[in-house]
Amino acid sequence: MRRIAIRSILFDRGKLIASLLGVALASTLGFVQIGLYEGFVRSSSTVIDHVGGDMWVMPRGLNVIDYSQIVSAGPRNLLRSHPCVADVRGLLYGFSWIQRPSGIRSTAIVVAVEPRSGRQIPWGDILGDVADLNEPLRVSVDRTDLEKLELPSYPLGKTFEINSLKVTVSAVTDGIRSFTLNPYIFTSMTNGRRLLGLSENEVMYYVIDLADPRCAANLVQWMKRYPDIEIIDSATWSRETQDYWVGGSGAGAALAFTAILGLFVGGVIVGQTLYSMAKEHLLELATLKAVGARPMELAGFVLWQVAFLASAGVLSGFVLALILRRVLSHVGLSVVVSAGTASLSIVATLIMCLLASVTSLSAVFRVEAAKVLR
Amino acid sequence: MNKTFRSGTIEVMVLRDVALQVRTGELVLLMGPSGSGKTTLLCVLSGLLRPSAGDVDLCGVPISRLPERAAAEVRRHNVGFVFQTYNLFPALSALDNVAEVLALKGMPREQARAVAGVSLAGVGLGARLDHRPGELSGGERQRVAIARALAGDPTLIFGDEPTASLDRHTGLEIVALLKEQVNPRRGVLLVTHDARLLQFADRVIEIDDGRIVRDESMHHPPAASAVPTQ
Repeated sequence: MRRIAIRSILFDRGKLIASLLGVALASTLGFVQIGLYEGFVRSSSTVIDHVGGDMWVMPRGLNVIDYSQIVSAGPRNLLRSHPCVADVRGLLYGFSWIQRPSGIRSTAIVVAVEPRSGRQIPWGDILGDVADLNEPLRVSVDRTDLEKLELPSYPLGKTFEINSLKVTVSAVTDGIRSFTLNPYIFTSMTNGRRLLGLSENEVMYYVIDLADPRCAANLVQWMKRYPDIEIIDSATWSRETQDYWVGGSGAGAALAFTAILGLFVGGVIVGQTLYSMAKEHLLELATLKAVGARPMELAGFVLWQVAFLASAGVLSGFVLALILRRVLSHVGLSVVVSAGTASLSIVATLIMCLLASVTSLSAVFRVEAAKVLR
Repeated sequence: MNKTFRSGTIEVMVLRDVALQVRTGELVLLMGPSGSGKTTLLCVLSGLLRPSAGDVDLCGVPISRLPERAAAEVRRHNVGFVFQTYNLFPALSALDNVAEVLALKGMPREQARAVAGVSLAGVGLGARLDHRPGELSGGERQRVAIARALAGDPTLIFGDEPTASLDRHTGLEIVALLKEQVNPRRGVLLVTHDARLLQFADRVIEIDDGRIVRDESMHHPPAASAVPTQ
C-alpha cells in the first residue's frame, strides 16, 4: 500500500504542493515560535546562566534578577569563612539612565562581576578586547543594541553618557540581549560602581562557587543568621527569573497561541488534501476491499501519505526556520534551534498531521466494497 | 435467497426467492432490465453484501455467514472483479496496478511484478506495462482490469457491465478475452444489458423484479466437476 499511497500523492502535483506548503508553513511556524519562546526564556536569565556559580545571595524577597537591590558587604566575610565555599564574587546589576548622542534619554542595564578564571564576562565578544573594560569608564555594548544606542556599526572608541558620565565603547558582543529590551552595558566592578553610584564594597548579588555541591543545604542553614538575605541555587534563581518574565508577561502564552494557530491552519490544509485524495480514490480503494484488502491495509493509503507529507513538510519547515532564524537575528530576535526545540516542533507537526488524517481514515474505514458495483 | 434494503421505514425487496449455481467452466450472462436486481445479485453472490434470508456458498465456503474479515479472506483467494469504470489507480503503471493486488494477496513484490507482467502479456498488453491508465485506451484499461482480476488465479471472475464504456468492437474483444479465461478451474459471471454478448455465453440467467425468470444453457459444454457457488 506504501507504493500506491506515495505514487498517488506524487501524481497529483497540485494537491502535493498545497499540502506540502501547509505542513511546511505550519512546521516553520512551530519551529520559529518554539525557538522564539526558548530564545525569550534564555534571554531573560542570560546573565545568571553565563555568570555561573552554584548559589546566589541577594536581599530577601526578590523574584527576578532585574529588580536588584544593594546587599551589604557583611555576608561576604561570613560566606568566605564557610568551609564549603570555594569562591565568592560580587555582582553589580542595575538600571541606569543613558543619554544617546542625539540627546534622547533611555534606560540600560549596567552589569559587572568580579572576574573568575575560565569564565569571561561578557561573553560572545566580536570586536575590541574585554580586558580593556578595566580601563576607566570603558564599556561593552551588544551588536543588536547599536541602533538603539545610536552607535555606528563599528562603535569602538565611540562615546555616550551613562548617568551623566561619558563612557567609551571598547568591546562589542553579539547576542546578549535583555528580555526587557534595555541594552546590557558590561563593564568592570570599579566602573560599574561609578556608573551606578555605589560605594566601595557595595554589590547587588554575591555569586558563590561551592567546593562541594553537597554542602548547599548546610550553607543555607549557616546563612540564616542574616535574616534579610536569601541564598538560592543558580538553577532555581534562573527559573524564577524566567517564570517572572516569560510566564508573567504573557509572552509565552502569546507565542504558544500563535504556534497552535499555525498548526491548526496547517492541519486544516493537510486534512482537506488528504480527505479529497481519499475521496478521489474511494472507488479504487473499494476495489481493493472487494478483492479482500483488510481495513488496516486500506488505512495504510492515508497513513503512508501522512507520513510522507509530515516528513517532507517538517524537513522543508526546518530549512525555512533556519533561514528565518538568520533573518530574525538581524533584528535582534533570538530563535533557538536546539535538539529540544526541534524535537518539540517535529512531534507537534506529526500530531497535527495525524489529527488531520482522522476524517480521511474514517472515510477509508467506512468504504463499502459493494460501492464498486453500484 | 432474498435481499431487502431498508430506508427508514420503507423496505424494498430487491431479490426474491433466488436460487442458482454458478459453475467453473462456464461464462454466465446475468441479464435483465435496469433496476431488476442484477448488480445486487452480483454483490450477494460475491460476498460483498449479505442476503437478508438464505445462504451463499462461495467455493464451498458459506461466505454469507462469515464475519466481514473472514469473508474478505475468501474473496482474496477466490474472486476477481472487472468493472465498467475499470477502477485503476491513475498514478500506477499497468504493471503496478496488477502487481499491487498480488502484493496485497501476500505475494513477494518481485514475484508479484513478474506474475503481473505475464498476466498483462496474456491480455495483449506486454508492450504497455509501464503505461499509466491515462495513457491507455478504454479497451486497454479494461484489459489491465482483467489482468488484475486474473491476478492470483481466482476461481470466479465477476464482471459488472464490463463493456458499457467501450465501443462495440472493443467490447466484443474484451468479452472474447474473458471467455478465454474460462476453464475447468475457473468460471465467469457477467452482468450486462448487451444482447450481442450472447454469442459468448454458455448460460444466460435473466432476472426481472428480483426474480429469476430464465436460466438457460446456450449449448451443452462438457460438464465441470466443481460447483463453487450456490
